[in-house]
Amino acid sequence: MKMKMLKKKLLCLAIAAVMTASNAGCGKGPSAADAMDDSQSQPAVKDSEEKDQQENTGSDQAWEPEELDTSERVDFIIYELGDAPADLDLVEEKINEILLEKVNATLEFQFSTWTDWQNKYNMQLTTGGVDLIYTANWAEYGKLASSGAFVPLDNLLDKVSPGVRELLGEDVLNQCRVGGELYTIPCNYMEYTCNGILYREDLRKKYDLPVPDSLENMEAYLAGIKEKEPDQPLLTEVAAQVLNFKYPWVTFAGLPYGLSINHDTPVQIDDYWFSDDFVDDMKLMKKWADMGFWSRSILGNDNESQDGAFENGLAVMYVSGYNPSKAMSVKETLAKSHPDWEAEFIAFGQTNGVIYPANMQTNGTAIAKDCKNPERAMKVVELLLTDPELNALVMYGVEGVHYELDEKGVYHNLSERFTYEGMNTWNFRNKEIMLSSESSVELNKLFGEYEEMGAKMKYPNTDIFGGFTGDTSEVVTEDGAVANVLQEYLGPLQAGMVDDVDAAIKQLRDKLTEAGVETCRENFKKQWLKYCEEYGYQ
Amino acid sequence: MKSRKSRIKKSKSMIVFQCMACTLLTLGAVICVVPFLLILSGSLSDNAAILREGYSLLPRSFSLAAYETIFKAPEEILQAYKMTIFYTVVGTCVGLAMITLTSFVISRKEFKYRNQVSFLIYFTTLFGGGLIPWYLMYTNVLNMKGTTFPIWFPGVMSPFLVVLMRTFITDSVPDAITESAKLDGAGQFTIFYRIVLPVLGPGLATVGLFLALGYWNDWYRSSLFSTSQKTWELQFYLSNMLNMSASLKQMAQSANIPVADMPTQAVKLAMAVVVTGPVLLFYPFVQRFFVSGITVGAVKG
Repeated sequence: MKMKMLKKKLLCLAIAAVMTASNAGCGKGPSAADAMDDSQSQPAVKDSEEKDQQENTGSDQAWEPEELDTSERVDFIIYELGDAPADLDLVEEKINEILLEKVNATLEFQFSTWTDWQNKYNMQLTTGGVDLIYTANWAEYGKLASSGAFVPLDNLLDKVSPGVRELLGEDVLNQCRVGGELYTIPCNYMEYTCNGILYREDLRKKYDLPVPDSLENMEAYLAGIKEKEPDQPLLTEVAAQVLNFKYPWVTFAGLPYGLSINHDTPVQIDDYWFSDDFVDDMKLMKKWADMGFWSRSILGNDNESQDGAFENGLAVMYVSGYNPSKAMSVKETLAKSHPDWEAEFIAFGQTNGVIYPANMQTNGTAIAKDCKNPERAMKVVELLLTDPELNALVMYGVEGVHYELDEKGVYHNLSERFTYEGMNTWNFRNKEIMLSSESSVELNKLFGEYEEMGAKMKYPNTDIFGGFTGDTSEVVTEDGAVANVLQEYLGPLQAGMVDDVDAAIKQLRDKLTEAGVETCRENFKKQWLKYCEEYGYQ
Repeated sequence: MKSRKSRIKKSKSMIVFQCMACTLLTLGAVICVVPFLLILSGSLSDNAAILREGYSLLPRSFSLAAYETIFKAPEEILQAYKMTIFYTVVGTCVGLAMITLTSFVISRKEFKYRNQVSFLIYFTTLFGGGLIPWYLMYTNVLNMKGTTFPIWFPGVMSPFLVVLMRTFITDSVPDAITESAKLDGAGQFTIFYRIVLPVLGPGLATVGLFLALGYWNDWYRSSLFSTSQKTWELQFYLSNMLNMSASLKQMAQSANIPVADMPTQAVKLAMAVVVTGPVLLFYPFVQRFFVSGITVGAVKG
């Protein structure tokens, strides 16, 4: 009897466990639903419009904007990334008042939120739920454009908004072309997102140390602080990123698979991992690790533990992931929490001479292929980008409610319910009519300096790398294997956590070759050279 | 004599079993409780202390700052609370009604196509339409995007719960009883209402708890179908807050995106406490039904 009960009890326990598990697992799965055709697309309308456009191209009249037929009201939906501001309804209403009057259209802003945004973003385009959409190279603009998710814009620009073409300039538009066609209207603002280091200037002054703008100076700076204040932790991350002081590579971490390219000679691809430079650099990292610049448990640190380390005095330097505007916000935080501290930012490009603004594909507006009325949508984009009143509404909210301007015309926020660029409409930034905020005054000064430096390069102020999207679908296995090898062998090397650097490098190289790094490289090189050819980089 | 002897013998094995069970369960309980204590103490700590010294079981430097941050502007979180309670109540009530009625029907022997219908229901556990058709159904066919309907409706029926309930009904209501009721002139609805429903207590509690927990913990449907923060579920409010800081941080490297004040570690933990609180209070009351419900409903099935 009892044994039976015991068995039964155990069984019950097991079943309860299984059920709890299955309940936890099935939380988000979609339930069954029938596949339905998209009944709302309107191919007929689009066809006739495309014909119109084709008739108009080439003729001189194409440059004269035609009178837009605005007899029928159109309600557009625009999809932006990120979270909606609290006062979305209020601002939307004001925008629509003007849009209705000017082009008889309305615009509803929808937001992806930051949860699972990539998935939802793609789904909007697949299901045809939106008319206008924010685009960015980091949101796979190139891939989506070549798969036909957006309406080609060259003809529309000529027909509806020739002014926008003039405003942005052909150079900028060319950066956004995919397969020779334009699919997005970039914002009219060059931003420098160059990476660099953020360090404690007050400590440097206090102990009269060199400015850490090169590998040697950085070593002297860190060693100096270590000597004077032995209890002060120095870095909470591996310093391998600062090798960018030495190499003027096109991207801040080099190309994938240990390849490297000089900005001046994009088609000449070099090998870094198998070079002697790599050995020297890794020995330097080992030396730094032995000098105690970072803790021995650094490989176990996750990203979270690095959060706020600098701001709380747990590190004297951030070496990765910081660009001018991020550095600026840390400075603002410090000014409040530790007024006696001083932080300074040095871009790697200031030392290695390669500095350029982010690729123009970074912020743009595209017309989705299922757009109800592409011409009117184009006009709406033009207005939001160039009309001072609309642009101000979309970027900053309602004057007097959400912000005010001081006597110098500088923006001051009044309400948490709509902050600076509160709708994440980075795609409508327009430098001609942009309001500067307190922090952007300083930022624009920095940008001015960078622009001067960047002008000296062969491709002046051009991010030749940013428009490239690699496709690894043909080498998935090798790509995954290489990534695993890197995590296992390159990580400890960069952190200086190996006893014999030469032996560890040999092991890394062997493992990489075994994992098929050559195949990955070939695949990458092929695509890269094709990309260079398409955009005229030699 | 004999029976007493055997009782002693068995109680020895009982003692061993109980010792083992107690140790295992204590271990299990500790494994469950410790992380929660960490969260609780972290939420009551000063954020700088967390960064400096890491987490601990007791708050290192006690501070209510995290809770103050959350409740400084409580409208958003209260709205999310309100919506989640709404979804949970509506979804659980509608779901219980539908599941019980469906299970009753397919448990009736008189129903000729009950095997076919059961199969159709069971079939959906193995094969689904996939995410995009599902999404299209609610947005383009039903045009329900932005309303509250697609947030609570998809959760009302689950094949697993229907099967659970059906087993429960067949087990707890012998055929003889329903048959005699039929002979006395009861219709199907009377049988359901007067004979079956009164003995369904544990089953209803179990299924209800599963449904309610599912609604309370869901965030995905808000993520897909909400167009305004007013319809957000509570868990989505939380998860979005965490995701926001993660993706903004990642993206701020490649684009000049102003990184606003990120929630600190302590605030994240405090949020977790605030959203799990009610469930913890709710659990003890339903738990006794819950255990019996699962065992009665499932073991013999």
